[in-house]
Amino acid sequence: MRWSYLLPRFIFLVLVWAFFFFAFDPILKWSLRKGMEKAAGAKVEIAEVKTSFLHPSFRMGGVTVGSAKEEFTNLVEFSGLAFTLEGAPLLEKKFIIDRADLSGLKFGTPRKTSARLLFAKKEEAPGFISDLKAEGTDMAAERLGDLKGGAAKDVQVSPDSLSSVKIYEELQKKYEAQYAELSKKADSSQYQARLDAIKAKYDEASQQKDFLKKAKDLAKIEKDVKQVTSDFKNDRKLIEDTAAGLKEGLNAAEEARRKDIEAVMGRMKMPALDTQSLAKMLVGPAIADKTDTAMKYLAMARKYMPDNSAKKQARAIDAKRGRNIHFPKENSYPSFLIREMSVSGELGLDAPLDYSGTIEGITTQPRIYGKPLIALVKGAKAGRALDFKALLDNTGAAMKGNISLKYSGMAVKELKLGNPSSISAAVTGGTGRFEGDLNLAGENIRGDAIFHIQGAKVAPQADSIKLAPLKTAVLNSMSGLTAVGMGIKIGGTLTSPTFALTTDLADKLGGAFKGVFGAELASAKAEAQAKVDAALKPYKAKLDSLTGSKQKEIKDKLDAAQKNVSGSGDGILNNLKQQAAPAVPGAGKIKLPKFKF
Amino acid sequence: MNPISIIRQFIQGLTSDTEPGQIGWGIALGFLIGLLPKATLTAQLLLVLLMALRINIPMALITVLLMTFVNPLMDKLTDPVGYYLLTSQALYPLWTKLYNTPIVPWTGFNNTVLMGGLVVGVVLMAPVYLAGRKFGVYYNAQLKEKLTNSRLAKALKTTWLLNWYFKVNQ
Repeated sequence: MRWSYLLPRFIFLVLVWAFFFFAFDPILKWSLRKGMEKAAGAKVEIAEVKTSFLHPSFRMGGVTVGSAKEEFTNLVEFSGLAFTLEGAPLLEKKFIIDRADLSGLKFGTPRKTSARLLFAKKEEAPGFISDLKAEGTDMAAERLGDLKGGAAKDVQVSPDSLSSVKIYEELQKKYEAQYAELSKKADSSQYQARLDAIKAKYDEASQQKDFLKKAKDLAKIEKDVKQVTSDFKNDRKLIEDTAAGLKEGLNAAEEARRKDIEAVMGRMKMPALDTQSLAKMLVGPAIADKTDTAMKYLAMARKYMPDNSAKKQARAIDAKRGRNIHFPKENSYPSFLIREMSVSGELGLDAPLDYSGTIEGITTQPRIYGKPLIALVKGAKAGRALDFKALLDNTGAAMKGNISLKYSGMAVKELKLGNPSSISAAVTGGTGRFEGDLNLAGENIRGDAIFHIQGAKVAPQADSIKLAPLKTAVLNSMSGLTAVGMGIKIGGTLTSPTFALTTDLADKLGGAFKGVFGAELASAKAEAQAKVDAALKPYKAKLDSLTGSKQKEIKDKLDAAQKNVSGSGDGILNNLKQQAAPAVPGAGKIKLPKFKF
Repeated sequence: MNPISIIRQFIQGLTSDTEPGQIGWGIALGFLIGLLPKATLTAQLLLVLLMALRINIPMALITVLLMTFVNPLMDKLTDPVGYYLLTSQALYPLWTKLYNTPIVPWTGFNNTVLMGGLVVGVVLMAPVYLAGRKFGVYYNAQLKEKLTNSRLAKALKTTWLLNWYFKVNQ
């Protein structure tokens, strides 16, 4: 043996062992802390990390993750996370955990030291969240304080100043491009070319003397005709769906028109005091932060549980040299999987509510695992109850999900609504009940939530309103209330959700405004609406005409293509029918497709 | 193993471990390794074995290099042999079991060229060894002196980096 070769390698192996025995855990702890700090944008502390290699296991304890928004608050903390990794999949670089245990999970706990990172990038809130916040504060700050007795009538509206005009112009450009593409797709020539090629094959097969070969060719031709008709059917549906979907852009234009009317009313010193706007002012900022957090968790779930993971498993059969023969795999593992994780912790700080539950099927490759993520968490104590259920199914082509949270009996210490620079209300004491449901279907999101507080004291504040009768009406509308309800309805898509907020405080406030301004408010709104609509009219007419004519053009093209495809296809299939029976005796009946669109 | 170490062993191998048997085994093992796809655990383990045994390394490395030129032709033989074995119904349970055994898939046994190359290589190892042994006798008698005194070997030895490396490792 060549010992000069073997000995250095043996020493190297000993050094590798020593590294894992003495230095691995501190290095892992450091890199975990850095990784978590990067993800959270705030300081993270980890008390201990312990790993074992002979029976691969991991334990992390005393973890606190600071909040990027509140310097002396923890976003989350937990006392321990422990799991054992399955050994065999590790050899395939797969991390499979049968059972994990996450204990002592708490949210929003105070911290003694600052959570701020020195060079942390400030995370920008998504546009829809900042809009939700801004809408409430803008209306409150800019308009309510300056309210006078009547509306200013001499306000001019130019199309350039309207955001709805900009949206109509953008939509027109977008529609022109998209309709051109759809129109090209709807052209019958591509299907005709395929049918012509099939017809040529059919003519060739008809001349064939060998019966068996002829039967084989005719069967293939029948299959090809079916394929063309099926492709056409699918394309037609896709084109019609896309054309119909284009209309959805008009919702954004309608929303912009509503905002334009509000802005014009603001310039008339008469804000649009509908309950929707008032609700946004009162509960918008409070709900925006919670919604931001929920959307972040959803985005995280989509990022780490992608719906196209199966594509990454595609294997090439041809190798660089030779061919790779693949045999059946007894176990196909995703890259990362926790089959079941038990979760326990406390909710709330003053009188914490103990909860516990399980989360099943946490994986980075849901399609390979083939089961959805299911979370069930429950807790109950002295009149309080928590019930959280979640099902996220990403095993199909698109994510489907349902999340529900019920929390009743929570003590409400103080809840500030509205904006101190105009109208605000402090809700103190009382007991709260929250019920929320969220449904996901691909990109689409739909949900609603209500938060009801009973036995509370509502203290309104309207110091900045100069108009005395209005100020009195506002204060009277909310004083003496003991119950407050608020709700949110979510719709649209994950990247561009829509929110509709309601609160009974807004109804009361709306009544107060109507009482003071009476018919003046309705008349100002009608006038503002007329001004905006007049400026918008030519743009709207242009877009309507474009969509109408293009939709008709596409429909005509599709009808013509359908006529061609079914005509030519039927012709070939009829010929096949005639040929099939006598040409192949005893070969059985050939099923021919029926053309129905 | 770093590149300088390979050159060092190569030059040293020109004068040491040059018994005809050692040269024969070097060529035979080089022939086997040369037949296989290199990015597999099988080829890497055979390379480790080659370095660990007291056989002639330069001849083995030269044979591996020469085989890379012949491989497009040899693949035409090894690929069907491997394909036949891997798709044999009788061996199917064995391959499935190996495929599901940890680490074994890293050996690339399910590649037709590797499987065929192993079989062809092992079968031809004995004649290649015998031919290599004969070449060893010829090398010692006719080529050894010429090669060690060749300009290339001298030029390599006088390179300051190798010179230093030889001194350090003596």
